[in-house]
Amino acid sequence: MPNPQNANSQHATGLMSLTAAKLLETLLNEAIRLDAQHGAAFKALPECAIQLHLKDVQVNFYLVCTDYGISVQNALKGEADACIQTELAELVALHRTGQLNNAQLSGDDALATQFIQALANLDIDWEEHLSHYTGDLIAFKVGQAARSFAHAKETAKQQAADTLKEYLQFELNALPTKDQVMRFTDEVNRLQEQTDAIAERIEQLLNKRPHKADA
Amino acid sequence: MSQNKRTIDFGFSEVPLEEKVKKVKGVFDSVADKYDIMNDVMSMGIHRLWKRHTIELSGIRPGQSVLDLAGGTGDLTKAFAKRVGQSGRVVLADINESMVRVGRDRLINQGIAGNVDYTITNAEALAFPDNTFDLATIAFGLRNVTNKDKALEELYRVLKPGGQLMVLEFSKVTQPLLSKAYDFYSFNILPKMGKLIADDEASYQYLAESIRMHPDQETLKQMMLDAGFDKAEYLNMSEGIVALHRGWKY
Ligand SMILES: C[S@@+](CC[C@H](N)C(=O)[O-])C[C@H]1O[C@@H](n2cnc3c(N)ncnc32)[C@H](O)[C@@H]1O
Repeated sequence: MPNPQNANSQHATGLMSLTAAKLLETLLNEAIRLDAQHGAAFKALPECAIQLHLKDVQVNFYLVCTDYGISVQNALKGEADACIQTELAELVALHRTGQLNNAQLSGDDALATQFIQALANLDIDWEEHLSHYTGDLIAFKVGQAARSFAHAKETAKQQAADTLKEYLQFELNALPTKDQVMRFTDEVNRLQEQTDAIAERIEQLLNKRPHKADA
Repeated sequence: MSQNKRTIDFGFSEVPLEEKVKKVKGVFDSVADKYDIMNDVMSMGIHRLWKRHTIELSGIRPGQSVLDLAGGTGDLTKAFAKRVGQSGRVVLADINESMVRVGRDRLINQGIAGNVDYTITNAEALAFPDNTFDLATIAFGLRNVTNKDKALEELYRVLKPGGQLMVLEFSKVTQPLLSKAYDFYSFNILPKMGKLIADDEASYQYLAESIRMHPDQETLKQMMLDAGFDKAEYLNMSEGIVALHRGWKY
């Protein structure tokens, strides 16, 4: 029976798991974009919802596959079409090993196998990505703001999977604002450009209606 | 209830009922093309986090049908379209043509097509048959609706049995200190930003006031139950700046 965690999944959407789901989603879609075959193996899948349960870190994701790509979420209405139970370390090694040796599959086994194959084809630099993630978290959690980012990244990279495991196990009490800053760096950059445009607009307004400027 | 009066709140000023619809339309007409950036600036990007949370909790899956009511420029529609796939359907419904147009252009530019319909609809009289949708959302839209009870009844009607409504809306801040700061922000800073960015202080003044007039968490929950929902609950986000109400039809 798929859904070992279904009862919890409705409530397990703390910021931490939101961030993890978003990270996994970005990572998969980025890898598909960079893939020589553009993730053709995923395109061959029917529209489906796959449950990925990482036993060692007690984390549960639902991967929703459609023509648009893969969306990752923490909850799913009803049961997934297939369920894969494995461990984070196995997942990280998948591209190298070509298979998940100790995984348990349930639901539509054939679909799960097809999904794992598609995933194995993707050359994802998990450690690099995870180190960004855990590196940021460490920097925040320990409050070592002064520590250089490069150093944090290097240290974290050595034990990326371990560190992630630790953080996922002990739900991080991150402030939304800090978390948001991490996740939306891109948007901040975009806003920066827009702010410049606004500044120009303000100047125009001030020139146009100086007497109303502080109304 | 407010809809029995001949006037109704438009922000803090009372206006004749039929005028509110026109005024609300005016507000969104004037901000449509600046709406996305205003959203980012006003909530400092956090609205994306609130929306993401909503999407995740919906538990949406391929093949389902979704109504994104007051869908505006289509943030939620986009996320749902990706998840329901071509075997599913998302309807972006909004009373304001300019918002829908901006939303449709934006989504098509981003490659979202084939499983999204766009329609101009008033939340109080939805042009859909009973039992149509697996999921209905109304994000930052309910506070603008004149007759909220009617809109909730309509949302209940168009949901399939087993379906879920999600209302994401500014609510009552639960933390007193934050509440003060937030008041200052919404009444002093927000309208000024609206003036600078969209050259439209009045519209953003209205937005700030309409947030304050919106029913608090418990009141809205009760309104949902009164509208027929068989179960309702809410979840505060960012200390209640925003609340996500969920209602189920059994
Ligand atoms: C603040 S925007 C929210 C847009 C979008 N849901 C989002 O979260 O970004 C509110 C939207 O509600 C729409 N609206 C206001 N009154 C409405 C009504 N009676 N029926 C349907 N839509 C309405 C407005 O046109 C506007 O697009």
